[in-house]
Amino acid sequence: MRKFSALIVFLFLFVVGFSGIAMSKEAPKYIKVGTLYASSGPFAKPSTAEFKGLNFWVHYVNSKGGVYVKAFHKRIPVKLVAYDDQSSTATATTLYNQLITQDHVDMLVADFGSVLTSVAVPLAKVHKILLFDVTGTGSKFFTPDNPYIVLCSLPTSGRWPYTLADFIISEKINRIAIVYSSNDFDQSQAVTLHNKLKKAGVDIVYYHAVPSNTSNYSIILHNIKAKNPNAVIEFGYPNNDIAFLQNLESSGLKFNMVFTVFPGQLFKLLKANVGVKALSYGYTYPTPPLLRYNKVNLGMGIDKFEKEFKKYSGKTPNFLNIAGYNAGLIMQKTLETSKKFDQLAFRKAINEFSGKAFTLDGLFKVNKEGAQIGEMLPVAQFVPQGQGLKMNIVYPPSMKTAKAVYPAP
Amino acid sequence: MLSYALIGGIMYGLYFGLVGMGLNLIFGVMRIINLAHGDFIMLGAFLTYWLYYLFGFNPLIVIPISIFVFLVFGFLMYYIFVPKLLHSKDPEMLSFILFFGVSQVIEAIIILFFGNNQISVPSTIFAKLFKVSTFTLFGNTFPISWLVVSIVCIATFAVIYVYFFHTKLGYATRAIMANRHEALVSGIDVNKVSAIAFGVGIAAASLAGVMGFFMIGAAFPSMGTDLTTISFTIIVLGALGNPLGTVIGGLIYGVAIMLMQTYFSSWTNVLPYLLLIFVILIKPEGLLGKAVRNV
Repeated sequence: MRKFSALIVFLFLFVVGFSGIAMSKEAPKYIKVGTLYASSGPFAKPSTAEFKGLNFWVHYVNSKGGVYVKAFHKRIPVKLVAYDDQSSTATATTLYNQLITQDHVDMLVADFGSVLTSVAVPLAKVHKILLFDVTGTGSKFFTPDNPYIVLCSLPTSGRWPYTLADFIISEKINRIAIVYSSNDFDQSQAVTLHNKLKKAGVDIVYYHAVPSNTSNYSIILHNIKAKNPNAVIEFGYPNNDIAFLQNLESSGLKFNMVFTVFPGQLFKLLKANVGVKALSYGYTYPTPPLLRYNKVNLGMGIDKFEKEFKKYSGKTPNFLNIAGYNAGLIMQKTLETSKKFDQLAFRKAINEFSGKAFTLDGLFKVNKEGAQIGEMLPVAQFVPQGQGLKMNIVYPPSMKTAKAVYPAP
Repeated sequence: MLSYALIGGIMYGLYFGLVGMGLNLIFGVMRIINLAHGDFIMLGAFLTYWLYYLFGFNPLIVIPISIFVFLVFGFLMYYIFVPKLLHSKDPEMLSFILFFGVSQVIEAIIILFFGNNQISVPSTIFAKLFKVSTFTLFGNTFPISWLVVSIVCIATFAVIYVYFFHTKLGYATRAIMANRHEALVSGIDVNKVSAIAFGVGIAAASLAGVMGFFMIGAAFPSMGTDLTTISFTIIVLGALGNPLGTVIGGLIYGVAIMLMQTYFSSWTNVLPYLLLIFVILIKPEGLLGKAVRNV
């Protein structure tokens, strides 16, 4: 009787175990993509824009029957699981955890920017789930011991000012003021620019950090003017850029060159807040849709995307819509090429198409740490044209569309 | 640089005196803490933005409109919320919770109707109006908008001073601030006077919103929380429960910010709060305050 019972238990365990293995090979009903967005707080505007771009990707692939998953040799619809972190890192930590441990998402997408991505990075590493980092460009996220992160759009922030530094050196601008917000995103840009310019013998006459919530730059501008620089570089988030440009215009101060980060990413927002005059002759990093990439081998080119996105949302896309969509494209390519449906296999697949995929956001290429190194941010200048502004790419020479108007009139 | 920071700090501080004024007035009269204070500043800014873009109204024209709208709104709001709060066992704590809820509702409604975008009116609007973009004071040049905002702030403080010290309503308000129950016993219509004070407090907050574009940049739906925190710092620095002491708190805050921006810019946010801790430890009722409550 005992032997018979043991046999029954053995057979039961065998059947259950075997069916478990068989089940694990079964294709899921949905590919569960988990993400966070912020409907309120300081990151609400960029976060919701990015989220809308990701939603568009989900809508688009599902309209085609889903995304092709090589591991299962079939198309599978995508289901987006999303929670509102209200721009709070504390809330985001809880919600990322929920996505991983309760919702068991197949793919994890970070919220906008370095601040809200920073809490996802260690969680993804601990739970061994690949984090699709949309725009969290903080250089500290990418370390050799963490294979569970890949930056989809934009280079790591430390690389952003490479071309800006080259432009300043090539124009022989020799007295520079740098003011930056004290967060990882802006600080890493400031450090890179400072080091590159110092190395080239450029005199950094002003180099100071301000809190990220700084909303009045009047005194700072006055202090900068006292140092008599040829160029003023302000690294900040959109709120900082708006306040900086507004204060600059109302102060009546003039500089030969003024550079800010976000007019190239959120042009409409900046134009609505600071006006055409404040942006005139200003410099920025242009990003799509100001940069027009139509020769792509992954997803839609910028013209088609603009048309489809407008049909979907009724609005003309901005860079962050594109970044959200681009993250979707990277996930799509990952699923299309990964031989296995597991996180490290996803990462391996990404390494294989890295440097070969060209999207509407530019060349997708990541290094061993998962940091984006393919996309390059040129330097652009806004010049008045009629009642509006025209954007000229002024550096590097390979992309140049016009000569920089320096010094600004 | 020092003189620029000091003069700029005084003008900046006058504005922050206005920012904290409404919160302190409401606290002084009713002993309740309006955690939605910053959201009323935000509402003032949104009203200015929309009146500018829909009708081309200059912010100076928006001032009386904003005062009227929010005075009436605050008056009505008093009767909806405050009497019940004041009859509770712990009105201060309950006011925290209630106005936190009000703050969230205001923010959500604004997001629902207007989205999350930052909004601004042109920073040069006063320059175009007065045909001069800057002015010079003791050899330092400042935007003309700072002068306009400073004049508006000083005028507001003067009106509040007159209201407190030269009107019957002001005497009644001060009587309630001194002792609500004794004021009631002496025949003052405590609810009516408090409702007016509540309306004035909300209107003062909205006025700070109207002028905010020229001192603190763009407005956005979630700006209220930070502004409430700053306002609280200012009123504790000046005098908790004494509205005119808020001006001193604002000036200290403004000058501290500007000095720090000049000499230790990355530590700008630290000094006001260090001052706050210092004042709380040395003189908990604020620099100009009487002991208005037991902490």
